[in-house]
Amino acid sequence: MADEKKIAAYICRGCELGARLDTDQLANIAQREGKARVVQQHDFLCSEEGVQLIRNDIDNEGVTHAVVAACSRRAKTAAFSLEDVAVIRTNLREGVIWAQPDSEENREITQEMADDYVRMGCAEARFVTRPAANSEAGSSKIILVVGGGISGMTAAQEISKAGYSVILVEKQGQLGGWAGRLWKRTPGKEPFADPEDTKIAQMVQSIEEDDRISVHLNATVGRTSGAPGQFSVDISTASGSTVTENAGAIIQASGFENFDASQLPEMGFGKSPNVVDQAGLELLAKEADGKRIKRPSDGKEVESVVFVQCAGQRSDKEGELSYCSGHCCNTSIKQAMYFKDANPEIETAIIYNDLRTPGNGEDFYRNAQRKRVTFTKGEVSSVETGGSDLEVRFKDLILDEVTSLSADLVVLATGQVPNSGVDVEAELEAETAENDGNQAGSKQEESLSVSVAVESILNLDYRQGADLPHLQHGFSDSHFICFPYESRRTGIYACGPVRRPMDIAQATEDATGAALKAIQAAENAALGRAAHPRSGDLSFPSFRKEGCTQCKRCTVECPFGAINEDDAGYPLFNEGRCRRCGTCMGSCPVRVISFENYSIDTVGQQLKSVDVPDEFEEKPRILVLACENDAYPALDMAARNGNHYSAYVRVIPVRCLGSVNDIWVKDALNCGYDGIVLMGCKKGDDYQCHFVKGSEMAHYRMSKIDDTLQQLQLEAERVSTLEVEITDIRRAPQLLNDFVDQINEIGLSPFRF
Amino acid sequence: MGSTNTAKVDRYKNNFLKEVEENVEEGDWVRMCMQCGVCAGSCPLGPHWDHPPQEIFMMIRAGKRDEVLASDSMWMCTSCYNCIVRCPRELPITHIMHGLANYAHRLGVAHQENPTRRFAQMFWNNVTKTGRANELKISLGLYFMDGFMNGIKKSLAMKKIGIGMFMTGRLDPFGLVQGRGCKGSGDIDKMLKKAFEIEDHRKGYNS
Amino acid sequence: MAEVVATNETIVVVGGGISGMTAALEAAECGKDVVLIEKNPSLGGRVAQLYKYFPKLCRPTCGQEINQRRLKVNPRIKVLTMAEVEAVSGQAGDYSITVNQSPRFVNEKCTACGACSSAVTSEIANPFDYNLSKTKAAYLPFDMAYPQQYVIDPSIVGTEEGEKAKAACSVGAIDLEMEAETINLKAGAIIWATGWKPYDAGNIQPYGYDRFLNVVTSVEFERMMDPKGPTAGKLVRPSDGAEAKSIAFIQCAGSRDRNHLTHCSRICCMATLKQTTYLTEQFGEQSEAEATIYYIDIRAIDRFEEFYNRVQEDEKVSFVKSKVAYIAEDKASGNPILHGVDTEGYNRYAAEHDLVVLAIGMEPSVDINALTSEISTDASGFIQLDEENGAFFGAGCSTNPLDVNRAVQSATAAALRAIQVVNQISRAEAA
Repeated sequence: MADEKKIAAYICRGCELGARLDTDQLANIAQREGKARVVQQHDFLCSEEGVQLIRNDIDNEGVTHAVVAACSRRAKTAAFSLEDVAVIRTNLREGVIWAQPDSEENREITQEMADDYVRMGCAEARFVTRPAANSEAGSSKIILVVGGGISGMTAAQEISKAGYSVILVEKQGQLGGWAGRLWKRTPGKEPFADPEDTKIAQMVQSIEEDDRISVHLNATVGRTSGAPGQFSVDISTASGSTVTENAGAIIQASGFENFDASQLPEMGFGKSPNVVDQAGLELLAKEADGKRIKRPSDGKEVESVVFVQCAGQRSDKEGELSYCSGHCCNTSIKQAMYFKDANPEIETAIIYNDLRTPGNGEDFYRNAQRKRVTFTKGEVSSVETGGSDLEVRFKDLILDEVTSLSADLVVLATGQVPNSGVDVEAELEAETAENDGNQAGSKQEESLSVSVAVESILNLDYRQGADLPHLQHGFSDSHFICFPYESRRTGIYACGPVRRPMDIAQATEDATGAALKAIQAAENAALGRAAHPRSGDLSFPSFRKEGCTQCKRCTVECPFGAINEDDAGYPLFNEGRCRRCGTCMGSCPVRVISFENYSIDTVGQQLKSVDVPDEFEEKPRILVLACENDAYPALDMAARNGNHYSAYVRVIPVRCLGSVNDIWVKDALNCGYDGIVLMGCKKGDDYQCHFVKGSEMAHYRMSKIDDTLQQLQLEAERVSTLEVEITDIRRAPQLLNDFVDQINEIGLSPFRF
Repeated sequence: MGSTNTAKVDRYKNNFLKEVEENVEEGDWVRMCMQCGVCAGSCPLGPHWDHPPQEIFMMIRAGKRDEVLASDSMWMCTSCYNCIVRCPRELPITHIMHGLANYAHRLGVAHQENPTRRFAQMFWNNVTKTGRANELKISLGLYFMDGFMNGIKKSLAMKKIGIGMFMTGRLDPFGLVQGRGCKGSGDIDKMLKKAFEIEDHRKGYNS
Repeated sequence: MAEVVATNETIVVVGGGISGMTAALEAAECGKDVVLIEKNPSLGGRVAQLYKYFPKLCRPTCGQEINQRRLKVNPRIKVLTMAEVEAVSGQAGDYSITVNQSPRFVNEKCTACGACSSAVTSEIANPFDYNLSKTKAAYLPFDMAYPQQYVIDPSIVGTEEGEKAKAACSVGAIDLEMEAETINLKAGAIIWATGWKPYDAGNIQPYGYDRFLNVVTSVEFERMMDPKGPTAGKLVRPSDGAEAKSIAFIQCAGSRDRNHLTHCSRICCMATLKQTTYLTEQFGEQSEAEATIYYIDIRAIDRFEEFYNRVQEDEKVSFVKSKVAYIAEDKASGNPILHGVDTEGYNRYAAEHDLVVLAIGMEPSVDINALTSEISTDASGFIQLDEENGAFFGAGCSTNPLDVNRAVQSATAAALRAIQVVNQISRAEAA
């Protein structure tokens, strides 16, 4: 491979690099050790002339690989984004001279650091290929929308408005979902005063008339296979027929079910027909059609109604919802207005604990008070159904007394339960536990009970299960605050209450956003480009089948379910689903998985190229594999702030700690490194790893490396996995310095030669 | 007015909030309270009340008619307006409190012992008699409100001020036997009568 | 300065906070051309000034790093900083925008080496720290600033200090002759992501923000936790630098109040719950530090309830259902004394604390109607989604007080709405 390559090294002397370092020596190293066939120095490499210098070599000398030994890859990115060639950034500024004090006694070790980074850059260049996009990318731009409620309908309409075609699948016999069953909705516009028409009928009509939207009613998704740009979807109808459609991306708008109010016997639901939930009240209001609402038991016009907020919600009781459903305060206010608007004399009371009407909801709340809806801060203990009237018992929290209200009708504001299908992670855990000989015990039982009798929404033909992975409480949400549309199944986006409890206004906004992401996924899949967070990355994993042992680690550990297994148990890569994190590469015990620009060799050869001094020099060498998302920027910014760290460390950025393969650690130990540090993001429930499980995986794998260390008769302390945050501009250097101190205490590695 | 009271109770069928809205000055603002309590904390006399305004409003909503009307709270308001200025819902709290006091008084169920109320009654009786306040009678009436010995003590304590007022002609020593009146006191009676009529009509007492 | 090519298929995004960045990136990653206009010298907006996010307590700059990386590799986005929109005319599919760009006095050659900053001694109030600290007059606004380019404050231009900065720059990046420029842009659609600003706490007279040193706002409190912030990451009182171990948080400071902002600002309850965790972080689990939250309703909406529960379990945090009536100051100690009534059961308090944090409300940062009168807004000035607005779309906190997650959703939705317009144009032109 090296034959076609022509590596050039460009060494910048700007930003004090020339003053602090012997750049002639660096040039020499690039030429002799790094095998760079063109080596140039420049006083200001990122300037127009500097970049032109590189450009000329590409055009005239046939340079294919440019090693830019200058500043961090995070600086001057646009200037050094050269088309046609592979660019390797060697970080001499933030990584060397800014990380070291400018003193005479440090000069030598600072130079050694720079020497090594040039060696590493050239070594990487020898094994990197500029990626060409996957030629087998699918090009379908049709978007499948699963769920025909307000979220799904909004998504379908917005996609169509952008000029794309939509397949809309709804399991019921008509579109509309829960929103279609509402008498009115909470207001979405100034003055936020009165219930508004849902406009669902108009929406349904315009969808039916839309040429770009094809609707499948009484239909479910029987099977989904493929990848963004080339999903193949079996749509089964109630009649038993199945059609197969292609789709570029998928939106899951499968909504919610109402919490089962019969689980609240103390609230009288089921005991009296006059205790209803909010959905039940909507039915009564629809029947009343603007006239007086009648109570179910005897058809008497309701004269008094009590709304019980947070029924079965915000609760720590078994079987009830611990979260708040967000919309219910406004919904009760709206429903109380149904009564007041029909007849102001009807007594309406809302018993709440915290009234949650964010944003303009405050206007709605005020207007309800204006309409004489009574608000009482209290905790309802029970609804007595014995007498002709219902009796709502509660503690008035303001007047600090236990009291009661009688009413013709009681409305329970129960919450939303996501309709999110199978809990794939629980299933996978159970499977793993089974394979591991049932050690997981109680956790497994717990997860099994969750997944029983749940119908899948998407029926994904994925190794990792049939649906989107769940977050807490079964919602299919993104885990990331900055990236609400981050999805762990590439090209499949959840929106609406399936991902988080929400009202119509939010669901509409959410669905519009999801529509964009679906379009974007289909567009980029066609170009072979990665989706977030490595947006635009053209590389994708390839694997050497002959070496594969069918161990399944890559298929199980891929955070995005990108890898299936074929009948023989070999991994089947779905490039379109891949997010290029490299977790599969990190997991592979036989190292058969690689990317064109990121492989066992691109990192392995870097670490091997470092000049490890002989044991008499007493200069330890520490390898730091730093996550490029947070740890590497933290070290960059530390250096910018003058927070120095040991000149004995050699930092290699990695895509994610999940991509770190054991072999790098073993190779490093064999090469005589005295210690190895993996620096990545936070793991655990509030993980900050951009690739979900990378940090977790690294910790797990490194816990197993102890055996290797024992075999080599090395101390376990020589390998450390650290969690840092991007803001750790003081802590990250300190951690490295502490580690070097620790290594000095243990003593240098016996493996130096 | 006891019979009025009973009639009201019947008419509003335990809906005290509605009764307040229809009979108490600015009473229709009571529903707008969101129970933040800023009024309660803002009142300089707050520590001396049974119930702060926001609690009174909640009691009204909870139908605690007797307790509210017999409360001394609304008699304690000194019209400093702190509560109105700070109320996030712009409730005219001062006015509502006075309105409640007035309403309770009219119904004859107002707090009996509250000195503010008693003084207010005394002042009213005094000023409507001749159309002019008789300072001496009011002062003595106030001082001797709680018994003879207390009256002597209070009068002695206020001696200096009394003498000062007398020296500057602000206190008529003969007022005790015969205070100064004003011209056409009959017209004052007429005016007051008309005012009562208007108010009764506006608040529906005649119906 | 830089050439900006924009056509009626270009999407102009105004505001470079997280919403604007998101809208720009999402549109560009769909293959659209975007011009992103930011009035400050760097992108990042208010999110960059936050110490941590709720409910994960993670770092806002973590996501910003990803967004910047997306930006750096995307040639479809042109970023204009220190630029403000002066006028907008036209209609959907054909807007003309006049942009004023202030001089940075530093050009693209800047390598962010920091030599100019080292060379000057003049200091200016640091807007990144809400002017609570000072920064050099030649400065990089913050560590994560993008573009990674220094700024020369106009106050030293034409002075010896300015010349010193210029002399220190070895790459000729400092141009003291730089002048304000007017840039005219075409656009098919405009995304207005101008965000929010904290309500002016001085208006809330009873809380004495303008009189008492130890009354601060929640946004200032965020800056105090930053190791590079005005108090070097220490929770200390402005009056005497003593550790603030008893902190009162006052909710609805300006919000839900007809005297100030009539809307609920949505995020403040969660922000306060988050900020109570800073006490433990700062003083440790075993410390006597305590937080008291004075509230009307705790609005920990939807799954945030979980976080509320977690904070409730913290014995060092107590909750008082009360809107504080007023704050007095103990002259000797400088301690704020909070007066009010706990409405749950009626308990009067006069509570002395070391520091008061006002959970300040959010209002739109720009009065859009001052720029163009045809935009439909709500009573608080937030932009509504309205067909009458043509292809002028609000995104993020210009549309409502939103948390980051919802703001990004809103921005993503806005990007699609803009794409719908420019796609229609390109389809029409293709036909």
